[in-house]
Amino acid sequence: MSGSNNKLKDKQADGIGARLPRKEDIPILRGEGHYFSDIAVERQLHVMFLRSVHSHARILSIDTSAASQMPGVVAVVTGAMLQDEILALPQASTSAGLPGRLPTFWPLAVDKVKFHGEPVAAVVAETPYLAEDALEGITVEYEPLPYVGDMEAALEPSSPLVHEDWKDNEIFRSNYQALRTADEHAAHIKEARRRIAEAPFVVKQRFRTHRCGVTALEPRGALAVWDNRDGLTIWMTTQRPHAQRACFADVLQLPLSKVRVITPRNQGGGFGMKASVYREPLLVAHLARCLRRPVRWLETREENLMSAGQERDQIHDLELAADAEGNLVALADRIVADAGDACLGGSWAFPIANVGGLRLPNAYEIPFCDIELRVAVTNKAALCGARGLGIYPGRFALERAIDMLSWKIGMEPAEFRRKNFITTFPARLSTGLGYSNGDFLKTFDRLIETVDIAAFRERQKEAWSQGRFLGLGIAVGAEVSGVDSLSYVSMMGTPSYASVEVRVDPEGHVQIFYGDGPSGQGEETTIAQVVAEELGIDSENVSIIVGDTQTSTFAPGTVASRGAAMVLPSVAMACRSLKKKIVRVLAHDVAIAADEDDFIFADGYVMHRGNSNIRLSFAELAFRIVMKPINLPPGDSGGLDERATFESTRGNICFGAHAAFLEVWPETGRVKIERYVTSDDAGVVVNPLIVEGQIQGGVVQGISNFFFEEYVYDNQGQQMTSTLEAYKIATAADVPRIEMYHDAGTPNPTNPLGTRGIGEGCIAPVPGALGNAISDALRPLGIEITDLPVRPPTLFRQIDASRQRKQQAS
Amino acid sequence: MKAEVSITINGIAYSRTIPIRMLLVDFIRYEAGLTGTHVGCTFEGVCGACTVHLDGDAIKACLMLAVQADGRSVTTVEGLAKGNELHPLQVAFNQHHALQCGFCTSGMLMSSLDLIEKNPELSEETVRHGLVGNICRCAGYANIVDAILDVAQERGS
Amino acid sequence: MYPSEIEGYVAPCTVQEATEAFAKWGEETHYIAGGQSLMQAVKSRMIRPRCLVDLQKIVSIRGLHEDGSGHRIGAMTRYCDIASSRRLGGAFAALVDAASHVGDRQVRHRGTIGGSLCWNYISACMPVSNLAIGSQMSLVSLSGATRELGVDAFLGAPMETSRDEGEILLSIKLPQPAGRAGSAYRKWSLLTDGLPVIGVAAFLVLDETDRCALARIAVTGLESGPTRVPAAERALLGLAGSDRAEIETLLKDSASSLQIHSDEAGDAEYRKVLFRQLSLEVVTMAFDRALGSKK
Repeated sequence: MSGSNNKLKDKQADGIGARLPRKEDIPILRGEGHYFSDIAVERQLHVMFLRSVHSHARILSIDTSAASQMPGVVAVVTGAMLQDEILALPQASTSAGLPGRLPTFWPLAVDKVKFHGEPVAAVVAETPYLAEDALEGITVEYEPLPYVGDMEAALEPSSPLVHEDWKDNEIFRSNYQALRTADEHAAHIKEARRRIAEAPFVVKQRFRTHRCGVTALEPRGALAVWDNRDGLTIWMTTQRPHAQRACFADVLQLPLSKVRVITPRNQGGGFGMKASVYREPLLVAHLARCLRRPVRWLETREENLMSAGQERDQIHDLELAADAEGNLVALADRIVADAGDACLGGSWAFPIANVGGLRLPNAYEIPFCDIELRVAVTNKAALCGARGLGIYPGRFALERAIDMLSWKIGMEPAEFRRKNFITTFPARLSTGLGYSNGDFLKTFDRLIETVDIAAFRERQKEAWSQGRFLGLGIAVGAEVSGVDSLSYVSMMGTPSYASVEVRVDPEGHVQIFYGDGPSGQGEETTIAQVVAEELGIDSENVSIIVGDTQTSTFAPGTVASRGAAMVLPSVAMACRSLKKKIVRVLAHDVAIAADEDDFIFADGYVMHRGNSNIRLSFAELAFRIVMKPINLPPGDSGGLDERATFESTRGNICFGAHAAFLEVWPETGRVKIERYVTSDDAGVVVNPLIVEGQIQGGVVQGISNFFFEEYVYDNQGQQMTSTLEAYKIATAADVPRIEMYHDAGTPNPTNPLGTRGIGEGCIAPVPGALGNAISDALRPLGIEITDLPVRPPTLFRQIDASRQRKQQAS
Repeated sequence: MKAEVSITINGIAYSRTIPIRMLLVDFIRYEAGLTGTHVGCTFEGVCGACTVHLDGDAIKACLMLAVQADGRSVTTVEGLAKGNELHPLQVAFNQHHALQCGFCTSGMLMSSLDLIEKNPELSEETVRHGLVGNICRCAGYANIVDAILDVAQERGS
Repeated sequence: MYPSEIEGYVAPCTVQEATEAFAKWGEETHYIAGGQSLMQAVKSRMIRPRCLVDLQKIVSIRGLHEDGSGHRIGAMTRYCDIASSRRLGGAFAALVDAASHVGDRQVRHRGTIGGSLCWNYISACMPVSNLAIGSQMSLVSLSGATRELGVDAFLGAPMETSRDEGEILLSIKLPQPAGRAGSAYRKWSLLTDGLPVIGVAAFLVLDETDRCALARIAVTGLESGPTRVPAAERALLGLAGSDRAEIETLLKDSASSLQIHSDEAGDAEYRKVLFRQLSLEVVTMAFDRALGSKK
């Protein structure tokens, strides 16, 4: 026991709210990160895939004889060889529960190929150089089949079939009946139609969004080792090691206990692209078991751009109606989404599009909605999760329609939004989705404060008179912040709770174990801050052990902004249990009656509030409880570790409002963003540096998607964008700095920390804000942005055509 | 088919017999075991994650054969810090939260170093322009720009 | 991803050793200059070299030289050295414009003017800038014979030049304009400093009254390869930089004379729009630079 006059701060300086530089940075900055491609094991072999050169073709024959004879080649495999050895996907354990069709597929194409880039054969060789050589020794004979590329045409009865065991190409359909009975739903639809028919103000417009996505800078990879006793150990790039484990077990017919999946400590970005169960790692695992040698696959960028991470292509035929006072009265939308071949374990493509329909009404009170989604399979790479899962298209369509409708009514779009926000919580959308809490107006008004709309309108008018085109666009998003198990089981076939174990060692160092697969979200730092806050120890004394199925219980993965929404609260809960135990022991030792509220945990000490003589270092107490568990309070045993599970209630959201100011040059159709501002409700912010990092990065991805990126398939289904020269990602010189505010949020009452997840959704308002701003700039020309991407040539053409029309008219 | 090379990396000479076709980045990663230098594209050389310095100039190690660097001096991200003392850029990247996943970071640091060493005066615009050879997918660039400007400013003063 | 097997690699120190190595290895031997384009082709296995003859150690074909007969740029001079050159202002500023915006700083540290000219990629910046300036190519053959060739004769369709098998481009000789001259190059691409959809270079020589006495305008990004625009060159004669309206009109008119293709990056109409914009910019700059060189 130490001396008196000890003053302890009530608040840990590196606790919740601190702008703490990240703990995980230093090794990365020194080049000592631990990424997938940095892992090597003795005697490892290398796999390379031969990929289809056709978008749709029957495989007539595959001749692997020459390749098998080439130097360093250990095995050459084809789909036909696999059918008797492993099971195909889907398997029950990780399949979506939604009523869609799940196509059957093996890691390598069997009988026919369904997209340009589908794996057809694989070579295993001593070095990757030799494996690539041997790919050239494989001869495949194809009989080309008609390319199914247009999602609407694919849904016509006359379309050729992508999956020939299906009667058509529709993988999923939903009308968002929610909890209504069939009769109630019919009445709901009828009322929506009536309101649209009778409303004084209606916008009816088709919107199209393009295929683009995320392309994490680190490609995918898997390294599998087989051991007769332990089974399979697989290091791989994945956001969801536990879900992957279940799929490996299913396909290879192994018990879960014989499969260990490890996400390396550092992962070079994921953004949803590493959340699916892909073909290639399944084959890598199988080969390691067959060949009894470690097998490694490191994806090339070309493979990545051809087969992973493609999202967002949807068509919306949307109608939005308002009454004479400017209240939204009904929404109708016919959505068609392109699922590619949908051969993707874990999500199966269509649940992604389904989320888009479910969340379509966004932050608005729209009492009646008639939304129908049809998802088509086509001869493209499977639709794959990407940040802003499923909603980027819908946000674009609705936020654009909101602006169009405002101008029709003659209202400033910001005012129209204010008038129609959901203001009472909990709220339920017509689609069935619930929002538990929030304050959209408060967060929105913070944005409006920084954006002097009246002054801008003056500037805009002045500019127009000089032939310059300035625009302001606003858009919002009520976005996911963790998903509850009820939704997640039906979407992904897995639960969504967070489960963490907190262990304190005898020196007072705290380790947190959990089973997600992060990729740069700063989780080690934010977790350390929560622990520092709760246990009053230095965040330096906290580390995480994450991404290993062997050291964690089931975890759904680093997806859907679960980190702040679920993982951090569960860490806090475990710490609070530990605190109780520490206080019990301490009170027992000094023979007082006390509970944890009587003690301050700060600066590495635990001190009695009323008696500063009762003061022990956290490390001393840890040592006492872990190593000297004698004379403990009745009922307590030794050791200082705790597991906690947390799942936020349904309908947890974060809310973001964006404003873009830009200028359009009519001479070339070029657009320059002058200012981009966001106001977000991130709840209680654990680390502002990290929250701002997420928003800055998410918005820039959204901008890059909007202007630059596109996966292009030609009219034969040839993928034309398989290099980073062709698939254009914004560089530092192509994007603005984002101005961010997160001081007008609301603590989330549904979890013990008040936090909200921000990462997933912050991209979603971007296309609406930009589309609205460009359309606003071009109002004198009557141009509405309805199709993405927005590229200078198309914008120029629209401007030119509009000017010519105007000239002819005058 | 094979050739003998001696390449100095971060002051240490690595003498190896290697296939002529071996890329410099593979030599750095697998022969010298320095895995801080990353690979993010196939053959196009666009992502910049493999940026190292060759005799003091930032270059892409994926667009060179190792034999071309025979007798020359390479600096990788591992060569930035002097023992425990981090390079000011490394410190600034940490302070400004200039990295998230960190996969681009090695290349970004090596390009930044080239940028500040060769340009006495830098502005937000020149820094952004100077980084077009390095793609960052997470951070949205602004914090990277701030970190570089910080170091440049300190150097100038 | 990985190059196919390469049997030989030679890094000679003299031009003669280089041609000898080339002759010795014969078929599928390639010279490699900066390698920033060649390595893409080698890694994608579009090119499968049996032997690479690396020119990087040949000091004699590197660097900028100036003698009584004008500027000579060694073929192995890197973009970064051209970009930072103080000698190449005014008349030859187009080369500086081009070199400063090729690819990125890493590429500019390796890529060379000679490599770019010999590769003659469809949207490359160096060939078109040299075409506008009217450079002379100096080449040496396998037998050691040297020849001089105008850039117009040297450059062909994209990826084609009149360089013979085994011939090495030694240097690029810049013309000595008979008066004050200025040049400029600008390109347009979706991403900053990306491969351009279109790029335009202009080279102007003025007479004593500051009027255009000679004009060379060239475009890159066309299917035909780097292409001169004779209609614009003729129409510019006799005009002064202040004749802005006339210049604008003549450039607009000459855009219609161009054979332009459409693709993903932009249709023919849009490329013409870009040509009008960029050509106006570079002609204006070239006038300014020519006038600036008077002082």
